[in-house]
Amino acid sequence: MKIRKKVGAIVSLALVTAMLFSACGSGSTASGSQAQSAAAASTAAKSKDNDMVIAMSESVLSLDPHNLTSTMSISANRSMYECLLTFDKDMKNIVPQLAKSYTVSDDGLVYTFTLQTGVKFTDGTDFNSEAVKANIDRCMDEKNNLKSRRYFAKVKEVKCPDANTVQITLKEPYSVFINKMTNFGIISPKAIKDGVKLNSVAVGTGPYKLKEWDQADHLIVTRNDNYWGTKPGVDSITFKVVPEAGSRIAMLQTGEADMIYPIPPEQIKTIDGTKDIKVESVPSNIVYYVTLNMSHKPFNDVKVRQAMNYAIDKDAFVKAVYGGYGDHATSPMASTTQYYSKQEEYAFNIEKAKELLKEAGYPDGFKTTIWSDNTSDSVKGMQFINQQLAQVGITAEVVPMEGATLNAKINEAKNAAESKIDMWYVNWSPSSGDADGALRSLFYSQMIPPANANTAYYSNPAVDKLLDQGLSETKPDKLTSVYAEAQKTIWNDAPWLFLGQPVVQYGIKNYVSNVYMMADGSIDCAQATLAH
Amino acid sequence: MGRYCLKRVLGTIPLMLVISFIIFMFVHMIPGDPARIMAGKDATLEEINRTRQTLGLDQPLLNQYFMYLNRMFHGDLGTSTTTGQSVAEMIGPRFQPTFTLAGCALVWSLIIGVLLGVFSAVMRGKWEDYIGMLIAISGISIPVFWLGLVLIQIFSVQLGWLPTGGLDSIQSYILPSLSLGVGVMAVMARFSRSSMLENMREDYVRTARAKGQKESMVVLKHAFRNSLIEVVTVAGLQIGGLLAGSILVETVFTIPGMGRLLVDSIKFRDYPVIEAELLLFSLQFVVINLIVDLLYGVLNPKIRYES
Repeated sequence: MKIRKKVGAIVSLALVTAMLFSACGSGSTASGSQAQSAAAASTAAKSKDNDMVIAMSESVLSLDPHNLTSTMSISANRSMYECLLTFDKDMKNIVPQLAKSYTVSDDGLVYTFTLQTGVKFTDGTDFNSEAVKANIDRCMDEKNNLKSRRYFAKVKEVKCPDANTVQITLKEPYSVFINKMTNFGIISPKAIKDGVKLNSVAVGTGPYKLKEWDQADHLIVTRNDNYWGTKPGVDSITFKVVPEAGSRIAMLQTGEADMIYPIPPEQIKTIDGTKDIKVESVPSNIVYYVTLNMSHKPFNDVKVRQAMNYAIDKDAFVKAVYGGYGDHATSPMASTTQYYSKQEEYAFNIEKAKELLKEAGYPDGFKTTIWSDNTSDSVKGMQFINQQLAQVGITAEVVPMEGATLNAKINEAKNAAESKIDMWYVNWSPSSGDADGALRSLFYSQMIPPANANTAYYSNPAVDKLLDQGLSETKPDKLTSVYAEAQKTIWNDAPWLFLGQPVVQYGIKNYVSNVYMMADGSIDCAQATLAH
Repeated sequence: MGRYCLKRVLGTIPLMLVISFIIFMFVHMIPGDPARIMAGKDATLEEINRTRQTLGLDQPLLNQYFMYLNRMFHGDLGTSTTTGQSVAEMIGPRFQPTFTLAGCALVWSLIIGVLLGVFSAVMRGKWEDYIGMLIAISGISIPVFWLGLVLIQIFSVQLGWLPTGGLDSIQSYILPSLSLGVGVMAVMARFSRSSMLENMREDYVRTARAKGQKESMVVLKHAFRNSLIEVVTVAGLQIGGLLAGSILVETVFTIPGMGRLLVDSIKFRDYPVIEAELLLFSLQFVVINLIVDLLYGVLNPKIRYES
């Protein structure tokens, strides 16, 4: 009895202390931030120095512009390297960078680039046509095993008629070649020749040059004072790796970071407009979807797949998963992708879904599984899908797996018959913003695992033909109709549950200007300026 | 004593070999394909296979193990598959922050924990005892992750006294070592309290008191010294816990240490880095246990004479 009393006393004391503690905590948060924002309103926000710090969730994996996979590596790379062409801010149009202009022959085989003059690499080497050729040769050399090699798989020859002209001839037409050139940073030919370790050293023509790189922690670049274009306003940029979202937000609040990305939707309201902070967003080129394995019953029936699309409330999805910051998916690819064409939505309609299921012979629904990785966002998404499908009698067992394990499990099946996957909750963004990149890996019949990510095991000869046609066409109006047709066919076949398209959101201090995020989640800080 | 030490030290060599084998096999047997991860999402099968060859992952597993062992004996820990840097180069700078952090956390938590435990034992049943054990229970129950974020919110964002993370100054060690040490402090307090209470009931304590010795001498010289064996054992085990905790603390406080490197390398299935790190963690654990064993000998003459 005595012991029980003691325990009781201890527990209640603990509870009271905990409550007091949390009450104090939240009280001071509110008053503190109000006071700060009042102070901010009276004086214009200023930075304490001219060095910008960007806190981001992932680390930069490589500095080699020909061997990049992560978006963060791309962001860091674009501060030090430039490409022949680049995307504008909205990722809609391709604009000149190291090439002044370019022409494509009528047969789509010869690309002629006229280069900028008076550009130098940070090691003093001149930028010219030979430099471009040296870079292409480096990529094409099989021994180097670089990721950019595939951009040049169809190249027949590269010629340099004069110092400012590069002529690239292809073996067969490849309409997205131009898009690939926006992702092909040009390295100093001298650095290539000297065998500089390019995965940790950068020698480019960009507005910044490398100061220091600690792979797990930070990358610092300083202004390139010999830059040929408009020089940035800041002295330096530090890309700092801060994996924990709460810590990133704290850094933005204390001023240790001037910009943070990404930012969880549920935190936006608490920081937007406080302490010189604003939260900005741009439409992304990411689509969220669930693949339905069409080689499995009951997903082999188009009525079942369409019924499932009707059973999902997309408004509720955007609210539940993106905290309201996003849109419905209105095509198999995001609205920011080249040649996007809007489709008629599968409007949320339970009755219609039930009717279609009945017609397909599943009046009481069925049992299945849904896979994804084990991040809290993915689990939330899968649970949402399961709840929605439950309304029409479908039970989708939620199976979260660690990312690399999931990847291995999907790819262990050598063909459709061996495949174990039913549904996969996942997202995709094309790395060079083109329609082929958005569709081929996911819908082309030869891209079923283990070749690539067509986990719907979707195979439609008409779509295969359209995608091949997309690569061989050169005229934009023709490409528009080819890709519109492909999107429409896929949409009607419904190999996916088409869900949503989030926005890219980042937190930034009011005193930062000319820093933008692109639809693919990369950062453009070429002209970054701080008021100080 | 010399022979006792030598025997203990030599015993660790076969142990490390067995550990290296287990680590290697486990790491290679967890599902996930580094070649596929490295080649990227758009990669073709041909590219993936070429990457697999470059990484040497197409060889039989046992061959890979002997190659790995051979490299290790030549002092080469391999090359990271993610960054292409040498593993030693990557781990070197990560070691010091984790080590310093664990050290700071251990020192304060041991001192405070043991003091709190002894104090509670002496004050047994009084309100001071309840307060002491309340602190200990809270310490065990509070998740490190949450505590870290709360500390950042209070001391960095609201008060502006300390930085949110990084290891640029001595101040930046304060919050992380505080979060990391709380659990250990709590466990030490609980253990030293119960061990003290047990010893205080022993005959020799009664004898000491009967001799008319001062109460402070009875507590410190007799009861405390005998409690130390148990305290040292538990402290040794706690260091393993500290290393595990460092993974969370380094993530919250943005410290580029071993813990964070381990998480990243597992995500990318960067085999050479995972193996090297696990081996280092095991080595640390083995060394700590060795020290604990040797300390037993110092604290209790019976142990060193028997062996």
